[in-house]
Amino acid sequence: MQDARLRLFSVLLLSAATYLSIAGALLTLFWLFLYPAALVSTVKSKALYILLPFTGIVALVMQIIGENGISYFIRIGILLLLAFTIFQGWTPGEFLDLAVWLFGTGIGFDIGLAIELTIQGIKDADQDWSRVLTAMKLKGMHPEFRNLASIGFLMIQLRLLRADDQADLLTTRGYKKGGSCCPHFEPSNRDIIASLCAILILLVSFMAVRDIFILMM
Amino acid sequence: MSPSHGGLGLKLVLDRIIMKRGSWSCAADGILVPGIHLISGRVGSGKTTLAELICGLLEPTSGELVLDGISSWMLCQQFPEYHVIGATLEKEAQSYGVVPELALDRAGLTGRGGEDPFCLSRGELRKLQFSCLSLCDRDLFVWDEPYSALDCREKQRVAQHLSTRSSGITILFTHEQRYFPKTDYLWEMCDGVLKYVGKVPEALPLWEHAPSHIRFLIGKGVIPANLTEEDLGEALCRMQG
Repeated sequence: MQDARLRLFSVLLLSAATYLSIAGALLTLFWLFLYPAALVSTVKSKALYILLPFTGIVALVMQIIGENGISYFIRIGILLLLAFTIFQGWTPGEFLDLAVWLFGTGIGFDIGLAIELTIQGIKDADQDWSRVLTAMKLKGMHPEFRNLASIGFLMIQLRLLRADDQADLLTTRGYKKGGSCCPHFEPSNRDIIASLCAILILLVSFMAVRDIFILMM
Repeated sequence: MSPSHGGLGLKLVLDRIIMKRGSWSCAADGILVPGIHLISGRVGSGKTTLAELICGLLEPTSGELVLDGISSWMLCQQFPEYHVIGATLEKEAQSYGVVPELALDRAGLTGRGGEDPFCLSRGELRKLQFSCLSLCDRDLFVWDEPYSALDCREKQRVAQHLSTRSSGITILFTHEQRYFPKTDYLWEMCDGVLKYVGKVPEALPLWEHAPSHIRFLIGKGVIPANLTEEDLGEALCRMQG
């Protein structure tokens, strides 16, 4: 999706729809096929497969104690898929544009900047992790459980150093509070259609699955 | 074309290696035998990518890399902070498998073993990294811009140390224009393609992006015996008669 506003709008509606019912979740899954490239890279994402087992464990516990664990697993699984797919589409600066568009150049700029720095931090942490693994590989070492604490400490330290540099940079550029930013969005017809589909999916998710089949008949 | 086999049992074969990233690509084809190989090239020509390919940190899009007889290898990355995994200078030196006191001493950091590596300047960190690496012995040593962040004196020391590596395959990737070790083979990265220029000194006149002072010497009909400061000084004396 090109337009960050429509993307946020759609993701909010689809998240609600997915959480509300299985029907909403399954329709959200179909909706994701509108963006096959992002969906394919999501399916290849390692982080998704790290999080899914945790959802599975919770679902299993729910099933054991008599709750509907299968429904929970499907809904949360699709919710994760949605989050990862939408995240693939974000480009640097979009959160700043969106926050300024929503809340103005004062608080909106600060919120947008904070989100941008956080997301950049996640990407940096990913790179730092790869670099630490590379350094260990070069030195003939392997990441082991006993090394995890020192690696974690190193990564936190790297993050703090980078944050310090970023703070210096912002100060040098005269940042105190708020800032000027001219948000620019380019909605496409496909984005509009996808957003309308998201509205429909939310409406359908309020209905029980049985009601949908009755309506179809 | 590639250098002829040195007969010392080690051989690095770059068999039609191609690495593609979007519209950018880099290609390498050749055989590297024991000795010091200088691979020069401009910024963005693909030197770091090739260094990482050689050390197995990247997978080529196509082609094959063969480490014939090479059982140990090391890459000196361009940014010294990428190597840091120790919380103190002592632990960092230990992570290379060297005696920390010796490494710190060589880096001029004696008595600072308990300090945080990130409290050092990049130049100091580079000195520590170089000191640790110079104590390691590997069949294949790949140096990616080892001169970065160093002053002239330290660059000179690095070049002198690299000249002393007599065994194994040493590959130096750099865009450095002044300080070089005693080099056996010359290669160039031109527009993302690795090109074998030849054996030094015969290859020097064919060096497309040679530093200006070397081009000046060659222009005057004087070919230096090698690329070290001493060799260039001697060539200058020859030119002046």
